[in-house]
Amino acid sequence: MFKLNLKIALRNLWRNRGITFINIGGLSIALAAFILVMIYAAYETGFDKSNPNYDRIYQVGRSMQDLKTNYTPPPLAQAIKDNFPEVEAVGKMKSGAFELPLFTNEGTVFTQNFLMADYSATQMFKIKPDYGLEKPKGESVSLFLPRAYMQTLFPHKKDNKPELVGLASKSAGQSGEVIGSVFVDPHSNISFDALYISNDLGKGEDYGFNNYQTYIQVKKGTDIYNLEQKINKLYQTELAKNSGNDDRFKSTTIFLDPLKNLHLKPKTGSDANYKVLISVSVLGFLILIIACINFTNLSIAQAAKRAKEVGVKKVMGAYRVQLAIQFLTEILIQCIAATVLSLIFAELVLPGFNSLFLVNLTIWQSNSSLIWQLPLILFFITLIAGIYPAMVLSGFKPAAVLKGNFQTSKQSYWLRNSLLVIQFSIAVIFITGLLIINSQLKYMRTQDVGFKADQVIYVKNIALFSDPAIFEPIREKIMKISGVKSVTVTNSIPDGSKLGTNTYAVDAKKELISFLDVDFDYFETLNIKLKEGRPFSKEFKTDAVNSAILNESATAKYGLTNPLGKTIRGCDMDYKIVGIIKDFKAQGFEKAVEPTIYTLKNPCGNPKTMIMIKIEESKMSETLASLKNQWLNINPKDGDNFRYQFLDQLYGKLFQKQEQLQSVFFAAAILTIFIAILGLFAFAKYITNGRIKEIAVRKILGASDLQIMKLINTSFFTMVILANLISWPVAYILTKKWLGTFAYRIEMPVLPFIISALITILLTIITVSLQATKAVKAKPVDALKYE
Amino acid sequence: MIKIENLEKVYKTEEVETTALNGINLHVKAGEFVSIMGPSGCGKSTLLNVMGLLDKPEGGSYKFIDTELLTLNDRERSNFRKRNMGFVFQNFNLIDELTVFENIELPLIYNKVPATERKKLVNEIIERMNIVNRSGHFPQQLSGGQQQRVAVARALVTKPKLVLADEPTGNLDSSHGNEVMELLCELNETGTTIVMVTHSSHDASFSNRIINLKDGHVISEKINKSRNEELI
Ligand SMILES: Nc1ncnc2c1ncn2[C@@H]1O[C@H](COP(=O)(O)OP(=O)(O)O)[C@@H](O)[C@H]1O
Ligand SMILES: [Mg+2]
Repeated sequence: MFKLNLKIALRNLWRNRGITFINIGGLSIALAAFILVMIYAAYETGFDKSNPNYDRIYQVGRSMQDLKTNYTPPPLAQAIKDNFPEVEAVGKMKSGAFELPLFTNEGTVFTQNFLMADYSATQMFKIKPDYGLEKPKGESVSLFLPRAYMQTLFPHKKDNKPELVGLASKSAGQSGEVIGSVFVDPHSNISFDALYISNDLGKGEDYGFNNYQTYIQVKKGTDIYNLEQKINKLYQTELAKNSGNDDRFKSTTIFLDPLKNLHLKPKTGSDANYKVLISVSVLGFLILIIACINFTNLSIAQAAKRAKEVGVKKVMGAYRVQLAIQFLTEILIQCIAATVLSLIFAELVLPGFNSLFLVNLTIWQSNSSLIWQLPLILFFITLIAGIYPAMVLSGFKPAAVLKGNFQTSKQSYWLRNSLLVIQFSIAVIFITGLLIINSQLKYMRTQDVGFKADQVIYVKNIALFSDPAIFEPIREKIMKISGVKSVTVTNSIPDGSKLGTNTYAVDAKKELISFLDVDFDYFETLNIKLKEGRPFSKEFKTDAVNSAILNESATAKYGLTNPLGKTIRGCDMDYKIVGIIKDFKAQGFEKAVEPTIYTLKNPCGNPKTMIMIKIEESKMSETLASLKNQWLNINPKDGDNFRYQFLDQLYGKLFQKQEQLQSVFFAAAILTIFIAILGLFAFAKYITNGRIKEIAVRKILGASDLQIMKLINTSFFTMVILANLISWPVAYILTKKWLGTFAYRIEMPVLPFIISALITILLTIITVSLQATKAVKAKPVDALKYE
Repeated sequence: MIKIENLEKVYKTEEVETTALNGINLHVKAGEFVSIMGPSGCGKSTLLNVMGLLDKPEGGSYKFIDTELLTLNDRERSNFRKRNMGFVFQNFNLIDELTVFENIELPLIYNKVPATERKKLVNEIIERMNIVNRSGHFPQQLSGGQQQRVAVARALVTKPKLVLADEPTGNLDSSHGNEVMELLCELNETGTTIVMVTHSSHDASFSNRIINLKDGHVISEKINKSRNEELI
């Protein structure tokens, strides 16, 4: 029987091959999107999962009034280990972004993210250097480098002996020992490109030195909440012992953050990864649903055609279940075909997906769970797409069906139309969303950000230039190079980095504001506009000592109407306000400009190391070449390597997340509308085919082509309008929420709503009319001949 | 073989109630060939559908040999139908996606006849029906008469005790119609009971007995003497 049913199925599919193709094609595209989402989700949720103790590792964090941090004091780890037997192991780490050149005669590498870890932390995270790891002796520190770096530095190395590398610059004459290479798992929360392993970290540092990440591994079945309380209590007592009655620590409590949350939603960081994952999953799911709806609708639409078969089979004694299974099997076959196709599609778009999300996923290796997930999905979409048609088709009464003039019953009319409306509603939401995202991004790209990053390069440098007098000779040398317009040095560049904050007082008013340490020509290099007063200038000897410039937000925060000449006090210093600048959006569009004080001298700030150079556009390449050639001479303490980035590119990275979102919405909008239109195309075909006789009769009675086109279009037109009405409020609420994440945003535009309505209506009319034309063009006599 | 008593069938739609069968009494002996005649809408098809267990009446009783059929559940009805009954329709109702051979084979499959046996039975009947060179064709490639022969073959292949035919010649010209009627007669002569709905008195003349329906009643019954004499 199966064979015969299969034959019926295949012959049916072949006879309607156009629609079969549309059906399978649409589903496979949606499935491809869904598979990508699944791989992505598996990847995002799989960080450190290969660690057998994955579920039992926690990061220790501290929670202060308005801040959660994972920086913990080094003695805490040992105290935890000593006091709680349920804690199997503790480990400490310290990591940071610090660029250090390492070189040999063969090559140079720049390590960017160092990680210092004690031996037990490396054991906990299964960090295994390639030739094994001996427990470092005494106070010694062992340096390991990623394989690629080792290859660059020692291309001919065959043995596993330690080697010497030069540090920083040749002229500095320092060197260090590299023990060997280590595999850096990109799928781990612990990332680094230079690993320093020692027996212990932070020896001699007490509870005031919150500079380390502490990890604990607990025994199976440990009550984490309870342990958290106990560790907190321990921390409080230890703190009281060590730092007396310092109020600042009183309100600090300890929390434990599971390793499995650290990538997606760490308590101490942003949960953006998690949000992206959730929204992408919802998207994938919706697209799949839309494609399943196509199946359901077309199968029901086809019902009249299959009714006779059902009737005959029932007359011959077929059970309803048998028929239901038959129809489900038919849909299963199509779903299998779609799955195979979808894997091919997914493979094709994966490179684009990888570069968009900055990941490196593959369909098979990275995620073997796909092997069991795919059949499961197949099963579910078959059910979703097939269960209703199977019930309807297998439920036909033979006595009614076999009379010969059977019409698909009205019962599925509502369902079919509602499903179409749902499809279009989803499509409209995505189109509207996309258009609004586009408007906001366009606004961000065209809006004046208050400074000009074009033709400004940021030079990486390891020499410290906190005192303007030290930087002066270097500036002079750089300025001599033709094409250089201005030079400055600072401790933070406008690439979205958060500035340090400190309390400053004007008169009696104390406020927590951001500070930025700059050098002469900072405002000129970035083309930042002055509102009143003057910029820093070498002509004023006091500028290097105690002058300050505030931005507009800061003057507003202090409520200063006449700020020039006023004194602002902070970091044990009195500054005189000499100028006010206009706000500039160093942090992008999401955060409002912070009230900020700009000074040349600041004992509380980090050292100034970040050099910015403004170069004439026409001389860019030759100027860069000269800088590179003369760098060792210009800035000997930095060394042999002139490394730079374009500031506009760095600032552009702030837009990356939104551009990602834009791409996702673009894909989603295109996919949803495409799949919905595919479904509509096939659906309209069935509907008009079913009305061919009616149309013929109407034509004989004198209806014009236009009248008939209108007749066929009307119901579809109503459905799209309805879909638009349903999705507008949804789209409005969602986009409003999204726009709310920006401090600088557009007013909610009306146009996207109108445009998406026009797009969907137009596409619908075109699609339906394409089908209707055929019915209208047919000669009425031909249509009536069949009977 | 068949005892139908006081059969009632009412169709309820939103606006109207139609009494299609209004207290039908009908007995059919084994081996009999009965024709049902009457004006359009008098309930002939409804009666046939009820007899074929395709429709459930509101009241009355329907005994087949000694089994009461109206109390069976859906599954039991399916089983009874596929073992004991064959159907021929006015509009043939062949499955368009299956070839002649496959269409005829279908009821055997539902009766779980093994494949080799099936092949034998189907080939036998195809030969008998004179459609050997058509066995690989699809229904649309056949003439109406040929299609109806295939439909008859399909009804016979399971060797049913009762064949129900609803206007089997209604869509055929007279020569093709006669072919089909001759087939039914042959079949009847080999002992199969036949109940046939028809509009044509010519067709009815092939049967043993003619039942006249009007408004859901049996209004008259006529023994077809010529046929019965022939039989005797
Ligand atoms: N499914 C149905 N729903 C409502 N009324 C029906 C249905 N089928 C038949 N009827 C009505 O029942 C009566 C008998 O119909 P039918 O048995 O088909 O007549 P015929 O003798 O022409 O075969 C008619 O009046 C018809 O309108
Ligand atoms: Mg009838």
